[in-house]
Amino acid sequence: MRFTPTELTGPELELQQEVRDFLAAELPPGSHLPGLGMSARADREFSKKMADRGWVGMALPKEWGGSDLTAVHRFIVVEEMLRWGAPVGHHWVADRQTGNVIHKFGTDEQRERFLPAICRGELGFSIGMSEPDSGSDLASVSTRAERSGDGWIVNGTKVWTSGAHQNDWFICLLRTTPVEEGNKHAGLSQILIDLASPGLEISPIPFLDGTHHFNEVTFNDVYVPDENVVGEAGMGWNQNTTEMAYERGGPDRWLSPFSTIEQLLRESAGTGLEAPVQDLFGELVARWWGIRNLSLSVARLIDRGEAPSVESALVKEMGGRFEQELVERLVQLIDDEYSPDSESLFERLFAQCILTFPGNTIRGGTIEILRSVASKGLQGLPA
Amino acid sequence: MTAGSQVDPLITETADRVFRELCPHEAIQAAEDTGAAEEIWAAFAATGFPWISLPTEQGGSGGSLADALEVLRLAGYHAAPVAAAETGMLGGWLLAGANLELPDGIVTVASSSSIEATATSNGLALTGSLPRVAWANVADRLALLVEVDGQPMVASVPLEACTSTPMTNLAGERRDTVRLEGVEAQAAPAAAGVDAVALRFRGALSRAALMAGAIEKISQLTVSYTTERVQFGRPVARFQAVQQHLVWAAQDAALVRMAAESAGRAASRGPAGFEIASAKLIANQGAARATKACHQAHGAMGMTQEYPLHHYTRRLWSWRKEYGGEREWSRWLGELAVAQGADGLYPLITGGSEAANQTEEHVR
Repeated sequence: MRFTPTELTGPELELQQEVRDFLAAELPPGSHLPGLGMSARADREFSKKMADRGWVGMALPKEWGGSDLTAVHRFIVVEEMLRWGAPVGHHWVADRQTGNVIHKFGTDEQRERFLPAICRGELGFSIGMSEPDSGSDLASVSTRAERSGDGWIVNGTKVWTSGAHQNDWFICLLRTTPVEEGNKHAGLSQILIDLASPGLEISPIPFLDGTHHFNEVTFNDVYVPDENVVGEAGMGWNQNTTEMAYERGGPDRWLSPFSTIEQLLRESAGTGLEAPVQDLFGELVARWWGIRNLSLSVARLIDRGEAPSVESALVKEMGGRFEQELVERLVQLIDDEYSPDSESLFERLFAQCILTFPGNTIRGGTIEILRSVASKGLQGLPA
Repeated sequence: MTAGSQVDPLITETADRVFRELCPHEAIQAAEDTGAAEEIWAAFAATGFPWISLPTEQGGSGGSLADALEVLRLAGYHAAPVAAAETGMLGGWLLAGANLELPDGIVTVASSSSIEATATSNGLALTGSLPRVAWANVADRLALLVEVDGQPMVASVPLEACTSTPMTNLAGERRDTVRLEGVEAQAAPAAAGVDAVALRFRGALSRAALMAGAIEKISQLTVSYTTERVQFGRPVARFQAVQQHLVWAAQDAALVRMAAESAGRAASRGPAGFEIASAKLIANQGAARATKACHQAHGAMGMTQEYPLHHYTRRLWSWRKEYGGEREWSRWLGELAVAQGADGLYPLITGGSEAANQTEEHVR
């Protein structure tokens, strides 16, 4: 494992200050309802403002609308956005992964079609992976595309698709050739599908707190032009695995409770915190510092051209559990009956943490799967 | 040897090789049984490594704090029974900073606010009792930090003039109680900024480095053991329940090593109280979880004296409480965190000691 200590350079620190100044001006504390990290709401206007500053698709080349910057630069912008609870929902998926996938694996035509619009903060993407019968066993997806004229006819169902009701495009993992005996990863492709396509139905799956994130997306003979197959048919599994190494180790995996914790400190400024809660703050700042060091070093590895799959799996696993443990420790110390509609902003955010954080060790790869990936790496076995 | 925060790779290679040769399982056990490891010390001393980070002009070996911490990481990795931290970055540091002579042999360290100190013609006469002095049974000299009229003073105490009562920590390392009855020692004012609090932070940093090495070792031992041990027709490492232990131990190894190294780098650049406190707290919590995971994955074999796991786990349980346990450091960090205010909380995490609003007690 290759976690090497690193510090931010002068120019990187300048970017950090720019982002902080931007957020202080756009979203002064008290003026907005903070989100819980990456599950913050979508706001097309805010995404555009970020894009105008060059902060969406930063690592993409200038020729495609990006800024030719690094994973570390993106890390600096993203961690500030998430700890502030800024509404990054609209451009989040495009910025974190889909833009990279299209850039790395897509055709030139796809790059031209999508990347500049992504970098302008215009496009919202949803990810189509899980299905009713395929969750952790992703290779078992049965949504399929059959060749038809200049394109493909898609049939099947995807579930847990966040934001499909609001977004523009869908990047969907499906089968373009039937399953081969003994080689279940072959024959999978990623296809870009316009969410307004005829035959595509979106129905909400209400989350346990009544909010609308999840959807079921059904494809009934949906036609997709061949130009929308990302790169080449049959490359879906490879593309997906690489994608995961890039997106698993970032600040979104350990910053979800930050705006809540900050708000607690803000609301207790007059009275102070009870000693055990103050001591817990001590533990939290240490652990955030510690995990951030590992997460930042993963970004440096990515910038050196590596695909650190074991390191990012470890960081994601530890991050998700840390987020949950933090909430649990605080619940143990604060003996109140919490209400999601309390007058206290801290209590509203905290209630949302309690209700939604069980999902933090499930989404984007369960910790059980992550442990499997990581332990194979530790034993020197293939993933 | 290098200045600044980069480690000289030759130090890593040499220290690893020397400790590996000197500290097989039997040697560590013998050192615990007898309380001494003269041959190991002699070979370690011959490398010059005990005095890394101490100025050559004063008889030290030169090199950086990062180099010294790397030697400690490897000492922890090999469970080397040597007073490395005490002779170098702790006791030696006190003596060199006070322009007192650096002795050739083993130096230990202590700090006390209850020792009586009276001025003599060339130093101090000291009376009192010092609990838990590391390696006191094999050390020649004790670098003792006391306060006289509000001024921190370093006394270079000859241990043959003291009496002691044996005591060990959980790993069988000697932590004797040392008694002084009017013992005369050369003494001088401590270097600027050096006081009991500074020593405590530096001690915590030394333990974080040692613990980083030990946790890495037990993590590796556990991967080896569970991939070799076959039950139900396959290596036990294939079972998901066992994989959980492997992964958690590896996470702690990574977290603690990163924390100790990052804190060392910060300390090379200036005040690093936040980083050191965080590193020690992370090391303490990492030790707790990793030792549990590794013992569980090893089954009964890991509970034997014959198998080497206990050399590391007992050291980790001991070092966890040396120079501050979880309550002490979480309290210190909590006060610092709250003093930043809500808007300063994340800047503290990203900027550390340099960024923090410091109150006087937190200037470390």
